[in-house]
Amino acid sequence: MKLRAHRFKQNALEALANPVLQASMKKAKGKFVDKRAIAIKEIDDFEATREAAKEIRNRVIENLDLWLEKFEQAAAARGAHVLWAKDGAEICRLVVDIGRKHGVKKAVKSKSMLSEEAGLNLALEAAGIQPVETDLGEYILQINDNEPPSHIIAPVVHKSLDEVADLFQKTHHTPRKTDIPQLTREAREVLRQHFLSAEMGISGGNFLIAETGSVALVTNEGNGRMVTTLPRVHVVITGIEKVIPTLEDLATLMRLLPRSATGQSISNYVSVLTGTKAEGESDGPEHLYFILVDNGRAEVVGSEFQDMLRCIRCGACMNHCPVYQTIGGQAYGWVYPGPMGSVLTPLYTGLENAIDLPHAATLCNQCGVVCPVKIPLPDLLRKLREKQVERHLRPWFERLAFRLWAWVASRPALYGLGTRFAVRYLKWLADGKGSIPRLGLAPEWTRGRNFPTPEGRTFRELYAQRGRA
Amino acid sequence: MKVALFVTCLVDLMRPRIGFAAIELLEAAGCEVVVPASQTCCGQPAWNSGDRAAAALLAKKFIAEFEGFEYVVAPSGSCADHVRSEYPAILQDEPDWQARAVALASRVYELTDFLVNVAKLDNVPGSFAGRITYHDSCTGLRSLGIKAQPRALLAKLPDVELQEMNGAEECCGFGGTFSVKFGEISAAIAERKCANACATGAAAIVGGDLGCLLNIEGKLRRMGDESTQVLHIAEVLTAK
Ligand code: SF4
Repeated sequence: MKLRAHRFKQNALEALANPVLQASMKKAKGKFVDKRAIAIKEIDDFEATREAAKEIRNRVIENLDLWLEKFEQAAAARGAHVLWAKDGAEICRLVVDIGRKHGVKKAVKSKSMLSEEAGLNLALEAAGIQPVETDLGEYILQINDNEPPSHIIAPVVHKSLDEVADLFQKTHHTPRKTDIPQLTREAREVLRQHFLSAEMGISGGNFLIAETGSVALVTNEGNGRMVTTLPRVHVVITGIEKVIPTLEDLATLMRLLPRSATGQSISNYVSVLTGTKAEGESDGPEHLYFILVDNGRAEVVGSEFQDMLRCIRCGACMNHCPVYQTIGGQAYGWVYPGPMGSVLTPLYTGLENAIDLPHAATLCNQCGVVCPVKIPLPDLLRKLREKQVERHLRPWFERLAFRLWAWVASRPALYGLGTRFAVRYLKWLADGKGSIPRLGLAPEWTRGRNFPTPEGRTFRELYAQRGRA
Repeated sequence: MKVALFVTCLVDLMRPRIGFAAIELLEAAGCEVVVPASQTCCGQPAWNSGDRAAAALLAKKFIAEFEGFEYVVAPSGSCADHVRSEYPAILQDEPDWQARAVALASRVYELTDFLVNVAKLDNVPGSFAGRITYHDSCTGLRSLGIKAQPRALLAKLPDVELQEMNGAEECCGFGGTFSVKFGEISAAIAERKCANACATGAAAIVGGDLGCLLNIEGKLRRMGDESTQVLHIAEVLTAK
């Protein structure tokens, strides 16, 4: 996907000014947050389960190479090819090669974030292979001129029913429908033809299971099953950090993933796919490929940001983030939105390419509280800010401002004098009113709210006077 | 009980009366209150903006000023938490300082937490008649577990009617420098908070962190609401 994270602020302003998006976000917020709150109550030992999930993920990431090797062996023993990709370009090259080798003209896809990271659809098109997104949300985005998703679980959460109705009418040349079951039926009819005619299926993977060489897919639509069982060739693309040791670990993580994501006890489909179609079996691919992708992950292993690799992509952090709730996911400018994206995007694409993202959070820690694998997201965001300062990536006036503030604040007499003047000046500016509508010193602040007027004397002044009195 | 009051830089500049209210409450709880004269800022803005050097400078200053006291109290959950939770991390490369930070950490309290759990304040000196709603500031709530304490204190005022708002625990959009870096996003979040608070029909929105309160008040006034009061809990509890 094209990186637009450097335009975060502009993107956010556009999102704030978009009434359809605003209305959709408001609706979605309650749904995700409330449903999760109910669903986690079903687990008696929720905190202990979180801790266990965190341990499972840590165990893998601390010895990632060993677990990947184990996975590779197990998968190969069941007839799969395991390939490795360093970056997005390599993903594209490998998938196109596989497609060419097997004479593929059409590829049906279920959701894969890695394919978004790589911009795979464009590469397939360029190679003469038609990609068809089959997740309903992703399909809607694809027919809308390859619009980027706004959420990792609900990619079109920002769109209204009306917009989708228009889009279907235009694309399918059918009478306009606004009834959701009718719309999904129409999509299903269109997609069915694609499932049956595609030679290749491309999917992501929620987890890779080392002991069996399997991939686990967690979905709510039947498309994942079609994509992975109908075509002759199945390509799984995942990040290297997605591996977990055992099926039992999968069971633990599955108690948390759907509950954190959509507030479901379990998702509609959980598939554990192992190996190619064996003799006598009626479905499954003849050729199975795993493409395991680094794209910035290996460098995070062993770094102070390693905790982030535990992420199981549930989306709870974004659902609960006040900033995400206000501007939606596209503003974050890359594949992963919300707090997780604000950490991942700079880590995977470069600190300098996402200069605003680590700051696009109030550090309210709602994300850290809901994260099922206990990733300390606010701490990681703060650390990224520190890295930016170290590398002189922040604007000079901002760096100077904090230096100056610290310099003054470490000199009590100077600080006392400075603040005395400042509060008097502000009080004078307010001109008898309770708040100041426009303040040159804090233009951003007063763009959307007034600046309350200070009392006019500092505490230290008044306290000193009181002492004398 | 000897208590050092950390006034916080925002209270010092913007609402000194909160500082005096805090002193009154602590004295009402039987504490001897000292206000170290050289105190300025705990350094939280610098730390949250990634400036470790500036944060460390102010952390050391704070430690030197306050480590001699049995207790340190601040009328702000986020500043209290900054000293408690962040100082040891800020000073991780200087073991001596870090040890001093750790030694100080457990003696630092947010005001209402201290009044309820340590000083066990019985008689609240203030009075307030009418309906209020309480905004739970993020850091105090999620890091220090401050939820019941302010409510317990407010319950001691016979004429206060507490009406909880929807999303009381949701962020108001202040976020320190966030509100200065991303004014519009921050204001949009504040708008939601104000709408939820006003829907309770409360005459006053009350909270424990001045940063959030200034944010909420600024948004209310911009929305044309000149009547809803926005008060620090110490002001309500002392009628200051
Ligand atoms: S960071 Fe945590 S809450 Fe966010 S998507 Fe990943 S696992 Fe879920």
